[in-house]
Amino acid sequence: MLRVNEMEYGAVKKLLSELCGVKGTSGLENDVAEKVTGLLSEYMPCKTDALGNVTGSKGEGHSILLDAHLDQIGLVVTGITDDGFLKIAKVGGADIRVLTAARVTIHGREKIPGVVTSVPPHLKSAKDDGKAPSFDEITIDTGMTAEQAKKIVSPGDRITFDGPFDTLIGNRIASPSIDDRAGVAAILRCLQLLEGKKTCRIDVLFSAQEETGGSGAKTGAFNSQADEAIACDVSFASAPDVSKEKYASLGEGTLIGYAPSLDYEMSRRLSRLAKEKDIPAVPEVMGGKTGTDGDDIQVAGRGIPSALLSIPIRNMHTAVEVVDLADIESTARLMAEYILERSSENA
Amino acid sequence: MLETLKELCSLPGISGREKAIREYIISKIEGYAEYSVDPLGNLIVFKKGKFPAKNKVMLDAHMDEVGLIVTGITSGGFVKFAKVGGIDTKVIIGRSVRIGDGNIPGVLGIKPVHLTKKDEEADIPKDDDLYIDIGAKDRDEALLYVCPGDEIHFENDFCEFGDGFIRSKAIDDRAGCAILIDIIRSETEYDCWFSFSVQEEIGLRGAGASAFTVNPDYAVVAETTTAADLDGVKGDDRVCVAGGGATVSFMDRSTVYNRELYKFALETAKKNGIKVQTKTRVAGGNNAGSIHKSRGGVKVITVSVPCRYLHSPVSVCKYEDIVSSRDLIRALAEELASC
Repeated sequence: MLRVNEMEYGAVKKLLSELCGVKGTSGLENDVAEKVTGLLSEYMPCKTDALGNVTGSKGEGHSILLDAHLDQIGLVVTGITDDGFLKIAKVGGADIRVLTAARVTIHGREKIPGVVTSVPPHLKSAKDDGKAPSFDEITIDTGMTAEQAKKIVSPGDRITFDGPFDTLIGNRIASPSIDDRAGVAAILRCLQLLEGKKTCRIDVLFSAQEETGGSGAKTGAFNSQADEAIACDVSFASAPDVSKEKYASLGEGTLIGYAPSLDYEMSRRLSRLAKEKDIPAVPEVMGGKTGTDGDDIQVAGRGIPSALLSIPIRNMHTAVEVVDLADIESTARLMAEYILERSSENA
Repeated sequence: MLETLKELCSLPGISGREKAIREYIISKIEGYAEYSVDPLGNLIVFKKGKFPAKNKVMLDAHMDEVGLIVTGITSGGFVKFAKVGGIDTKVIIGRSVRIGDGNIPGVLGIKPVHLTKKDEEADIPKDDDLYIDIGAKDRDEALLYVCPGDEIHFENDFCEFGDGFIRSKAIDDRAGCAILIDIIRSETEYDCWFSFSVQEEIGLRGAGASAFTVNPDYAVVAETTTAADLDGVKGDDRVCVAGGGATVSFMDRSTVYNRELYKFALETAKKNGIKVQTKTRVAGGNNAGSIHKSRGGVKVITVSVPCRYLHSPVSVCKYEDIVSSRDLIRALAEELASC
């Protein structure tokens, strides 16, 4: 049995495992929203807004918004065939290459198991073009006739990918939904670290619909109108087929975003603090926008200067996303140090 | 039989590593029959009936499942592997696995779709480029947990779903094993021989040896076979249908079945009110391919459970078809022993 270093990463692992255990695709984040509301309300009063964001706020004065998105990629039922198979479309950037033979849960009137259909090698023609099927060709087997299926499933119902929450070697976890439950876990861990400490106003936005375009962050940040914001998402980690020169490695630390759309002073402050407090961190440089909630928060209302902290993961948008707990812990610690420093400056 | 199947499917046992399966089967048949393990690892069983058999009948099911095997570790600590048995690469990318005796968890990684070029979004990686991530930081750390030659099986979540269906890895051929165990544990009219065979998936390596040892007059192979009753697939292209009953083959890629025996199997099903269907495509192959060529030749028939998504980490079959297959195999064993 593999074990994580419980002393150092037990708290983060517990949060992540609870968060990955619930599902919520873009636009239907209910289950994960409920779970997150329970966890966040330990630190501050919180509520769910019109778009499904879970938000909370505590403290007075200068305000810092912390954001991570609630939703995960998945599929949506578009129809049921005469033979009882489900036709689907994707929700967010689902990866067609990992769909064949995937185990899924269909969130219909009740939650039921299913499997993405495939053709066995015995029946394959000699030539294989090496391509995954298209989303149009994909069907899901529920083990039911059309008549049976229609009693439980209807178009618009969501489908999520199943997989175990596995502890790998070296404090690493493989699981579905790490994008962006790792970010949510980092923020909750940050609040844990700040407990009993005097801080400025902290707003938390666990946003809906990031994977389908960032509607939740845009509206949630508008409601907050904080003085500054830190978005917390996942980013790419190096792997055998992902360049080590271009992307950080797992365990290297939190990734401090540098991009024209991000506030340069905030990024630099984060880098300085990481160095001073001995928190593992590496810069992640992007040439324009960031492709995260940070983009929408920056231009919400009259504008909010924003920073981005990312947690490197492998196999993004699959059911086997891999994260190093140490990187979540580093992200939480750096966020907490940032808040403490800004709080004392603005006291 | 369902509980037995669940336990069998959950055990690891790629070709050549059938030990856990064999030990489980022995634990289930102990006291019900005599058994021995042959030099290749086949479990050969003799079950005494109420009467001696006029003809010697052997029932066969293979213990092994398809999977992967560790071939090496990269300097970065990633596990390289080869396939064991016929597996389509599409069904293993992005899946969770368990490695070696320590059941070390790992995942088959893939470059995020965000980083692929637009026209490469649907490209399946080449087998040589695949790797398993076990979380190790480098080769030395990985070697503390896994080593070349370790078996790799798919992480499993056996579940019953839909209208009496089962979803699991390794239904091929643990369904056959469960059927044979059930027959051994029941009262039988005539003496009967059984072979729980090794290494079917890499080319029918085991069953030939057990057929040589048993030297039967007739053999019935208990298998699973490809059901392609999927959306948009019509008529004969469905090969066989989940829910259609025990599936009897007249010909596949490994065997041209004895015509009389084929007809006899269908008649026996009819006579006993057992749901039966014919495989409507010449595809696949099984231990019948090596058993029928044993010694001076053996008359052989295959009775299969129709099974969707064979050789993937999530095959699907209907439990009632396992029951039909068991009933037909048991009836055939009795009939052939006494005719």
